[in-house]
Amino acid sequence: MSLGDALFGAFALPFMGRALLVMLVLSVIAGVVGVLVNLRGLEFISDGLTHAVFPGLAVGLAVGGSAGVLPGAAIAALIGAVLLTWLMRSGVANDAGIAVVLTAAFSIGVIVVSKSDDYAGALEELLFGRVLTIPPSDVVPLVVVSAIALLLVALTAKQQVFRAFDPAGSRAAGDSAFGLDLALNVAVALVVVAGASTVGSLLVLALLVVPGAAARLVTGRLWLLFPVAGIFAALASWLGLATGFAASVGAGVDLPAGSTIVAVFVLAYAIVLLVRLARDAARRRAGAGTTPAGPSASGAPSTRAVGERAA
Amino acid sequence: MSSNAVLTFEEAAFTYPGGDGVSELDFAIAPGEAVALIGPNGAGKSTLLRGVLGLVPLTHGRMALGDAGRDASHADRGMVGFLPQTIEFDIDFPISLEQVVMQGRYRRLGLLRWPGRADREAVRHALETVGLGEFAAKRFGSLSGGQRQRGLLARALAADPRLLLLDEPFNGLDQPNRDALVATLRRLKADGVAVLVSTHDLELAREVCDLVLLVNGRQNAFGPVSDALTLANVQRCFEGVEVEIDEHTLVVPGHEGH
Repeated sequence: MSLGDALFGAFALPFMGRALLVMLVLSVIAGVVGVLVNLRGLEFISDGLTHAVFPGLAVGLAVGGSAGVLPGAAIAALIGAVLLTWLMRSGVANDAGIAVVLTAAFSIGVIVVSKSDDYAGALEELLFGRVLTIPPSDVVPLVVVSAIALLLVALTAKQQVFRAFDPAGSRAAGDSAFGLDLALNVAVALVVVAGASTVGSLLVLALLVVPGAAARLVTGRLWLLFPVAGIFAALASWLGLATGFAASVGAGVDLPAGSTIVAVFVLAYAIVLLVRLARDAARRRAGAGTTPAGPSASGAPSTRAVGERAA
Repeated sequence: MSSNAVLTFEEAAFTYPGGDGVSELDFAIAPGEAVALIGPNGAGKSTLLRGVLGLVPLTHGRMALGDAGRDASHADRGMVGFLPQTIEFDIDFPISLEQVVMQGRYRRLGLLRWPGRADREAVRHALETVGLGEFAAKRFGSLSGGQRQRGLLARALAADPRLLLLDEPFNGLDQPNRDALVATLRRLKADGVAVLVSTHDLELAREVCDLVLLVNGRQNAFGPVSDALTLANVQRCFEGVEVEIDEHTLVVPGHEGH
């Protein structure tokens, strides 16, 4: 099989074209939402929502079969988003408490799935997705769910960034902390819903976290982060699907599609990281003493500084 | 005085759910007036400022913003600019100085509108007012402490406030930055902006402010600097704390700074 077949020809097949369409919409939106997840440091909440959604997926599957997965997940995600927003805000629960609740939710989901006829198959689909077997009737609901997430983020983007940068200042300017947190958490939850029924609930976190982290490495300019994350996500999704197809059809190595996509996301992140490290090293050699303009190459949330008065 | 006042309190009290707060507030600030807010630590100075911003509930009396003659609403607070004592932020946060200053315009813009030409013009003007015009594109975290503080003042000014609240703005400022802030405040007063500034610095109160508000859990005294800033009033306000008052500086042992 030629490179062109893998990169372009493969998507003429209906199931591959459908997978590409859904993955492009989902991953670009997940990337854009993920920039805010990165700036707010909400990776833990996002992880929590993937767990909260799982029992919804399982109950939906048990009650309504394959068609029940998306509504079940959506209901669980909305309940989870409201509950997590409220818990984090009121301070009644700490990280450990939330982790216990979410693990419990996950195990309830597994128990529900275990009652189904095809235990192993159903569990695998919920955990690791069904990128290549998305039913045609699911495409529109998946796109709609993702679009609502994008709308929530687009409407609140300025204020979300303000809150991420300076929470106290954002509140002093009259923004509702609860409202902003709820909007962002619901957007994350909707991405998790769409992602859980495609790449699977264990892998969707990569779509949310990796493009935003990669964008932080590429640019230090605020509003460029969003397009950079979207482009990164689109390219990685496309290459991931093509790689899986080439390996399965061309080389006879049966790679699970969802996991292959996620592996390509992580690999692409590693390449961006290496380029960034090399660029920083070159800059240090070129002009020792000048500080780089962008964030530190680790991309990790760094120490928080207190604005001091001394000049 | 209250007919055209920017901020009016009548028997007002702000109380946190825990019970702490500041009460018996009964004063008004007119356009172009500056009020020095003075009191020991924990006296409710920040509570008062946060109350004006709507962050601490008004539990008694009434507060009016502007000349509307009605109680302060969410929308009225759009006319208030606020300079916090400090901000805590991620030093690597990818945001430029002008983007931080633009945050001062968000309240006007609301959720749906994005900054336009008038907003960019207001940001440029605010940055020039604080002398940071040439640093507009710099990453906020790469600025010095004094520059960040001036940047935050520019953010407060970008809102075109009619009332400016400043929480201990002179703490830790060196002389050039202090002089620049005094000059900026005088210019704002001349433009008709009302200023409420909490400070430990009596020299500053005399330099910039027309009025003094002494608080210690409640309003102790309010009036022109020469009338209200008497040794007796200050001693009453700082009860239990040794107070020396010389020509210029109030020395409150162990109560300087934060």
